[in-house]
Amino acid sequence: MNRQVSHAVLAAVAILVLVLIGVQAVDPVLYAAKNISTAAHADPATIQKRSLGDAASLVPLMDDLLGQTGTLALTIKLKDYESAERDLARYNELSRRFDRLVVTLDVSGTDIGEFQQNNRQNQDALAALLNDTRRFDALQRLEIEVRGDDEQHMTVIYEGEALRQKMRETFSAYARREAATVRIAEHYEINATPYQESVDHFAEVADAANGWQEEINGGGTGTGGTGSGGTVQSPLVIAVTPVEGSYGDVLLIGGIHAAGKSGAPVEIYVDSRLAATVALDDDRTYVHSYRVGRILAGPHLAYATAGTIYSNVAAFEVLPKNTSITLSLAEVNGTAVACTGNLTADDGRPVTRAPVLIRVDGETLVGAETDGNGTYRADILLPAGEHALRAEFHAAGYPLNASESPTETVILRGEGLSPFPFAAAIAAAAGTGWYLRRRRSEESTPAAEPEAAPSPEVARPTPQVSIAGLPPREAATVLFCTLRARLGLPETKTPRDCARIAPAYAGFFERYERIRYAGETPSEEELTDMERIALGGDADRA
Amino acid sequence: MPSGVTQIEREAWAILLILLLAAAVAYAHVTTTTEEYSRYNTDWNGTSALPAEEIRDLRNLDTAATLLILAPDRPFTAEEVGYLQTFLDAGGRVIVADEEGTANSLLADLGSTMRVRPQNLASLERDRADPGLFTVSVVGNTSLFAGVGTVRVNRPAAVTGGEPLLETAILTWEDGDGDGRISGDEVFGTAVICAAEGNLTVLGDESLFINAMLAENPQFIENIQPIRVDSIHSRTGTANPIINTRLWIQETPPAAAAAAALAILPVAWHFGRKRDD
Amino acid sequence: MADAKKYYAAAVLAVWLIIIAFFMVLSRTLDLEVFFVLALIGLLVVAVLIDGAFSRPRYMRYIGYIIAAGVALFAYIVAQKILEILAA
Repeated sequence: MNRQVSHAVLAAVAILVLVLIGVQAVDPVLYAAKNISTAAHADPATIQKRSLGDAASLVPLMDDLLGQTGTLALTIKLKDYESAERDLARYNELSRRFDRLVVTLDVSGTDIGEFQQNNRQNQDALAALLNDTRRFDALQRLEIEVRGDDEQHMTVIYEGEALRQKMRETFSAYARREAATVRIAEHYEINATPYQESVDHFAEVADAANGWQEEINGGGTGTGGTGSGGTVQSPLVIAVTPVEGSYGDVLLIGGIHAAGKSGAPVEIYVDSRLAATVALDDDRTYVHSYRVGRILAGPHLAYATAGTIYSNVAAFEVLPKNTSITLSLAEVNGTAVACTGNLTADDGRPVTRAPVLIRVDGETLVGAETDGNGTYRADILLPAGEHALRAEFHAAGYPLNASESPTETVILRGEGLSPFPFAAAIAAAAGTGWYLRRRRSEESTPAAEPEAAPSPEVARPTPQVSIAGLPPREAATVLFCTLRARLGLPETKTPRDCARIAPAYAGFFERYERIRYAGETPSEEELTDMERIALGGDADRA
Repeated sequence: MPSGVTQIEREAWAILLILLLAAAVAYAHVTTTTEEYSRYNTDWNGTSALPAEEIRDLRNLDTAATLLILAPDRPFTAEEVGYLQTFLDAGGRVIVADEEGTANSLLADLGSTMRVRPQNLASLERDRADPGLFTVSVVGNTSLFAGVGTVRVNRPAAVTGGEPLLETAILTWEDGDGDGRISGDEVFGTAVICAAEGNLTVLGDESLFINAMLAENPQFIENIQPIRVDSIHSRTGTANPIINTRLWIQETPPAAAAAAALAILPVAWHFGRKRDD
Repeated sequence: MADAKKYYAAAVLAVWLIIIAFFMVLSRTLDLEVFFVLALIGLLVVAVLIDGAFSRPRYMRYIGYIIAAGVALFAYIVAQKILEILAA
């Protein structure tokens, strides 16, 4: 009774425990000390290490940028154009690195973001200054050559006037940015002296242009750059209406060419880049609808050329606008998440073909682009688990303010079960089974005998055997021989063979096998049992 | 099989072994706590690994040692302030480590202008994912931080006044909305984590002394040796009655003698009486 | 007792499981896979040590099946870990 009940109880408990464990087996890590922290401190051993990042290089990079403006402006002033090109290239490279760093470190919402915008505008201004100064030099040389030819001289004058206006406008914008940039530089303890010197150099270059213009105009009424026009009036006039606009607005750039012919082409430049080519109408007017797209906020210049005639320079202002970006997530087949959203300016206009960044878990950045309706879509592959995503629009080169969406979380299920582990498990079980079976068959091969052994069911009368006084192991041997003889088994049979042939007495033979070959010693009760069995008692109880 | 030992005795040995294991586990469980900053907390946020000596009396302190007041949560009486003042005047060093501002009343009593301002400082100058775990640099010239260039801090508070000893990088901000990044109207700025006035140093990060942080700034811990921890006011004690009883027994000689007698007497009686088998 | 070796083996296996559990609790990481693998190692060691060359007691007859099942589960765990590493 005890035995079977206890076995049953053990089996039931074992099955219960296995079921309980099996329930947990899907997620085997039951508990792990992860990210233990209290309000006062966090356990550094459990916080994930990450690379030191480039935060340390942010402020030195700002220092480099300001220093580079100083050298660049100086080389332009000294008319060392080769060095200036090299300096400009290095400045562009530094600006690119700075932009990348600001986006990676996610600091564009601070005054560093403002510094970044100012830096972009400074970059444009210094590049324009370099080109304008070079062209201005060429004009100065050309003006001397064509002194005799009135018509050509006039075109040179017009172009010179246009350049002068450009440089003056660019300089005033550059100088307007000085106060904010110096304030930010002082906040971060950066040396702003080179930058302030660059403003001075810029001023000198603009003044030199003024001086030349007065000189060739005979120095009459020109007392130094007061308003547009002076004593030179180009026949080609340009104006921008309205004078201000923001992203998506359409500005009309046009004017009259007093000395032009109908159908002649007029090229319109915005910030020294060709914006459009239009033809003169019958009344010698031209007009172009300019849509404010990817252009920096702030002051810009427009001028036109017809053949070799340059127009005056018209200034217009692009006003910044706020934007808003939305993000919605949808899980796609367990391993990827589809991100969609809209990027619109505050007045509802969509921002088209603009780069959008999706920040995954605060670290990784994935790029996407909006289409013609301002909608973007990206599919991102992520490992299983919970992830936090945020869409950001860094308005690089747009007259828009940066914006970001609220952070959304998504939980990915991960891939389903793959068949490879199951195949491995089955293969391992088969291999183990084959190995164990082979080992067993090796053991029983030497003992393989024809199975036609006499069936020993008949028990012959017991011989009289006494084991009193014998040592236990010898007594066991005697008992074994007795039983073997009683069952009619030949004396060549080993205990194992006997157990195989007479399974009813298997327990006895196994016990004897251990005694005989494994050196075990039977106890008194065991010997009594064995004696009873050997001499014809009931079935085995070994 | 061993033949001289019977089955019953073998089972008894096995049970004894298991009971010993269980007793060891129970002992370890009962004599340690999980209170923060406790000397009996062997976990990451305890101070059991800090090589310091506890003192209960602020009188006649050895001026060669550094007195550490770690996360004080009990007020100082006027008498105790007087002892501290004497100690400071005699040339002893006092370090007050506090992150919550509870030491401000003590600092006011000592006549110091330094105050602790609890803030949720976060910095970009870090190599861990948590924004509160960052490095600060040593400014100023003091023996406390001799040979130390940077100190790794763990969610510190800012200290105002005094002569600055530890300053954060410029890319540090107070994370008001707790989102781990600079946003809204948060601005960058440096903050002072540790300041000193003469021999009195105020350290805005008491987490520097917990077990998990001791390995991060080994030179600093070495510089302030030998340390005496003011266990009356610091939070290095424990509310666990068993530990406190054991401490009391250790410190009161009559109680120790009584405990020893309690342990020896039964054994002596057992072996001393006549055997009657 | 005839089955003393059987009881010894069971006791050693139980103590080994307790030791593993003790250290896992001490290090505050309870991982079922690690526990299973260490238990399987214990079972294999015990099976090899008690297996006599000359006899095959009844309690050793079916241990082959248990070991095969354990090895199959072990192979499953290893294959899954390999997949995880490859996917990373």
